[in-house]
Amino acid sequence: MMRLSGEPAYFDLEVTVNGRPYRRTVTTHRRLLDFLREELLLTGTKESCGEGECGSCTVLMNGLAVNCCLVLAVEAQGAEIVTIEGLAQGGTLNAVQQAFMDCHAVQCGYCIPGMILAAGQLLESQPRPSRQEIESALVGNICRCTGYHKIVDAVEQAAGGGA
Amino acid sequence: MSYLGRSIKRVDGLGKVTGRTPYTPDLVLPGMVHAYPVFSNIPFGRITAIDLAAIKEAPGFIAIILAADIPGENQVGVIVHDQPLLADEVVRYVGDTIGLVVAETAAIAHALAELVQVKYEEYEPVLSMEAGRAGRGRLLHESNVACSHRSVRGDVEAGFSSSDLVVEGTFTTPHQEHFYLEPQSCLAIPEPEGGITIHGSLQCPYYVQRAVGGALGMSLARVRVVAAPLGGAFGGKEDVPSELCARAAVAAMLVGRPVKMVYDRRDDVQMTSKRHPFEMHYKVGVNRDGRLLAADVLLESNAGAYATLSSVVSYRAAIQALGPYRVENVRAISRAYYTNLPPSGAFRGFGAPQVCFGHERIMDHIAAELGIDPVELRLMNLIKPGDITSSGQRLDNCAGAEKTLTKARSTSGWLKRLPAGAGRYREGWGVATCLYGNGLGAAGWRMDGAGARLQLLRDGSLEVAYGLTDMGQGAITVVAQMSAEAVGVELSQVRVLPTDTANVPDSGPSVASRNVVLTGNAIRDAAEDLRKEMTSAAGQLLKCPPEQVEIEAGRVRDLQSGREIPLAELAEQMFVTNRSMGALGWWHAPPLDFDADRGQGEAYFAYSFAAQIARVKVDTVTGLVEVLKVWAAHDLGKAINVAGVEGQVEGAVSQAMGWALTEDLRMTDGRVDTVNFSTYLLPTFTDMAAVETIIIEEPEPLGPWGARGVGEPAIIPVAAAIANAVSDALGVPVDDLPITPEKVLALLDKADNGGLGTGTTAIGSHG
Repeated sequence: MMRLSGEPAYFDLEVTVNGRPYRRTVTTHRRLLDFLREELLLTGTKESCGEGECGSCTVLMNGLAVNCCLVLAVEAQGAEIVTIEGLAQGGTLNAVQQAFMDCHAVQCGYCIPGMILAAGQLLESQPRPSRQEIESALVGNICRCTGYHKIVDAVEQAAGGGA
Repeated sequence: MSYLGRSIKRVDGLGKVTGRTPYTPDLVLPGMVHAYPVFSNIPFGRITAIDLAAIKEAPGFIAIILAADIPGENQVGVIVHDQPLLADEVVRYVGDTIGLVVAETAAIAHALAELVQVKYEEYEPVLSMEAGRAGRGRLLHESNVACSHRSVRGDVEAGFSSSDLVVEGTFTTPHQEHFYLEPQSCLAIPEPEGGITIHGSLQCPYYVQRAVGGALGMSLARVRVVAAPLGGAFGGKEDVPSELCARAAVAAMLVGRPVKMVYDRRDDVQMTSKRHPFEMHYKVGVNRDGRLLAADVLLESNAGAYATLSSVVSYRAAIQALGPYRVENVRAISRAYYTNLPPSGAFRGFGAPQVCFGHERIMDHIAAELGIDPVELRLMNLIKPGDITSSGQRLDNCAGAEKTLTKARSTSGWLKRLPAGAGRYREGWGVATCLYGNGLGAAGWRMDGAGARLQLLRDGSLEVAYGLTDMGQGAITVVAQMSAEAVGVELSQVRVLPTDTANVPDSGPSVASRNVVLTGNAIRDAAEDLRKEMTSAAGQLLKCPPEQVEIEAGRVRDLQSGREIPLAELAEQMFVTNRSMGALGWWHAPPLDFDADRGQGEAYFAYSFAAQIARVKVDTVTGLVEVLKVWAAHDLGKAINVAGVEGQVEGAVSQAMGWALTEDLRMTDGRVDTVNFSTYLLPTFTDMAAVETIIIEEPEPLGPWGARGVGEPAIIPVAAAIANAVSDALGVPVDDLPITPEKVLALLDKADNGGLGTGTTAIGSHG
C-alpha cells in the first residue's frame, strides 16, 4: 500500500522495455508491475496475487523471469525488460506464442502472458526440455483453467519448432 | 458438418498470447477514478458510527459512498432479498461492504478505505454450520434456514424393511474458493444522457443490468452492461459482480466520472462467494444382490451470510442426491443454514459435486459390505432408457449413463487393476458416476431462454451476437463454429461480438452449462430465417429454385447445374435488393411438469452423464496422495470443439483435485486465514494427474446437432473418484474432504488401532 504520510522519495529511472529506452521519474516504492501497467500502459503483464506466488506478472529482466510484483521499479535501473508485448515481431508470433495457439493451451488467458515468458526463458536455457523438466520449470506459474497438459504440449511443440 | 466435431483453435487466442486482450483491470478512460470498498472487519454486529475524519482531507480523496447515497433500492439479493447493497445497520460477515471510497488512484482509494473507522455493537456470531443449524442466539435473518428442498417418492420405510442390508454414512465436503486468476473487477461509466455503461468481469450481464437499474432507480434501457473478456469465473462471477457493479455505478453517477474497481486478492478471497460446504447423511437399503431399494438422505449446507444462489444449489442437491441410479423409495431433504461467514454461492456444478461425493461414497460402502465390484454395483443400478429417476422423471435419452461407465472401465484397465499392497506406497482405484440436469431446472424454466443475432455483411462475412458469456471455457469459439455451420459461411469470416446487453434480449445467466444448447439452438433459429433470404436471393442469381441452392463454407451452389458463386456476391446482391440481412434467434427450454412439494417430476429438460475412474498412489509415511491418472468418460451428445472439450475436462480434473486434496480453506472467527496462493494450495504443474478424456456421443434430441454442455459435468465425479481410490488404497473409508496428508495419517492410525470402518455401516436384519 502507498504511504499516506511523509514525503515520497523520487528516483530518475532509466530502463529499456521491449527494446525501447525510457526515462521516467518514479517514486521509490513503485512496483515494476505498476510502472509497466500504469506508466507505460503495457497491460499484458497481469496482477493476480500481488505476492509473488502465481507467476501471472512474470516478465524477463535481463533475461531472467521475475515476478514483477515483487520488484521495485528502481531495481530495474539500467535493466532490459521484456514483456509479453515485446515478443511478436512485426506481427509474427514467436514460437512459444504460436505453440500456445496451436496446442489449445489458452482458456481464460489471464496466466498466459506470464506462462509464455517463463516458458521462453526455460527454452533459452534448455532448448530440449523433457515434459518433467517443463513441469518443474513452470511450477511457479499457476493456471486455474487448463489443467496444464496443453501448456506442456505447447512448450514441447515450441521446443521442437526449430527441428 | 465441416466445422463441428473437430479441434478448432480459439478465435480469441491471438489477443491472449500477445497480451492485447483487454481484461477489465486493463481498461483506462479519460477522467477515470478508482474505488475501493470499506468492509466490515467483524463477523456480526450493528454499525453505531462511521468516522470519516481520517480520509476527507487526504490528498486524492474524491468521495465516499454509503447506503444513504443509493438513489434506488439498497438490495442486491438475486433470488431472496436479504442482502443490502451497502450495509447500513447490520453487518453479517467479515467482508460485508459498508461503503466505497472514490479517489484519484487505486492505491489511494485502497489506503483510505482502510482508514475509515467503523464502530459496532458486536453480536455473538454464528461461525459454523452446526451453530447455524442449532439456530440459537441472534439470527442473521428471519430464519436461520436459508432454504430447504425435498425430493420424495415411494415408501422409504417399507423400502428399508424389505432390504437385506442398510448402509449408512456421513460425508462432508469443504468450502472451495474459485481462485479465478483475474480478481473481481468492473468499470462504471456515466453516460452524458443520464444512463450508465458497465464493463466488467462478469458471467451474467443481465443480472448486473437488473442490479444496477435497481440500485440507481433507473430504467433498464439506460443500463448497458458489457462482459469484458473474463480471466476465469467458475461461477464466482455469477452473483458477486452484481454487487461490485451496482456499487461502482452508484459511485460513478455521484461523482460523474468513470469509476474502476479491482479487488486485491486477499480481499477478494475474504469478501466473495465460495462453494457451499455440505454435510450429508446417507442411509441406503439394498437387497443382497446390491439393488438399491430405499434411500433416506439429509443434505445440509452452509449458506454463509446471505442466500445468494443457495436455493439453486439446494434444489439441485435434492434432485441429484441419488445421482444416475434407480431408487423407487427416496426421501432426500436439503437445507442451507445462514452463518456469519462469506456467502456461499455459485460454483461450477452447483451442489452436484457435493452430492456426487455422497452418493458415490455410499455406493462404495455398499460394494464393500456386499463384496461386489464397485463398477458392477453401479451398472446394476444405473438408469436405463425408459426408467424413472429418483426424482421421478422418465428418461428416454440416458443410454450415456451405462456407456460412459463401461467405456471408462474398459479404457482404464479397471478389471486388471492390482491390489493396493501393504508397502509404503499403496495404489488405489476409484470410480464415480454422475448425472447433471441441464439448464435452470423446474424452478427456472420460464426464464430458461437465450438469444443470438446474426448479421450478414455486404462482403459475405458474418457478425454474431449472443447473450451468454465466454469466461475462458471457449464459448466464443463454439458460437463461431455453430454460426459458420448453421449459416454456411467460412469460419474465418465469422466475428463474434463481446456480450453486451444492448445486442440481444435478456438471455439469462451464463450458468448450468447452458451455452451450447441454448445459444446453439438460438443460432439455428436465426440461421433458418437468414438462410431463407439467402437461398431465395441465390435462386434469383443462379436462376434455380431456392430449395436447389446449397450454401456451405462460403460457397453458394446450384445443386443441379453445379453452378457456383461466392458468398460475397450473394451478400452484395441481397443488400442492393433490399433483403433482410439480419436475424434474431431465440430458444426456450421446454415447459417442465414438476411437483415442487414432493420434488418429483421433470426437474430438468435434459441430462448429461459421466463416469470417471481415478488411480492414485498414497505415501503412507507422509500421507501424500498422488493422483496418477483420471479416465473421464462424458456423454456430451456431440462434441462441437474436441480440443475445447478436452480442455474443459482437464481443467475440471485439476480444479476438483484441489478440492479433493489440497484446497483447505481455513477461517478463524469468520476471517479467512488462507487468503493467498501460499496458504490455499491450488494444483500446480507437478501435481496434475494424467487425464484421458473419453467422449461418448449419444445425441441429445433437444441439443443443436445433438450437443450438450460439458463444463460442469466434467468436475462433478472427480473428487468422489479420488476419494474412492484413496479408500481403496488404504482400506479405510475416506468420507471427508479435503484428503490432506494429516487426515491420511490419522486414518491410517485409526485403522492400525482397529477402528477400521466401524460406525459407518449397519447390517439390517430384514429379508
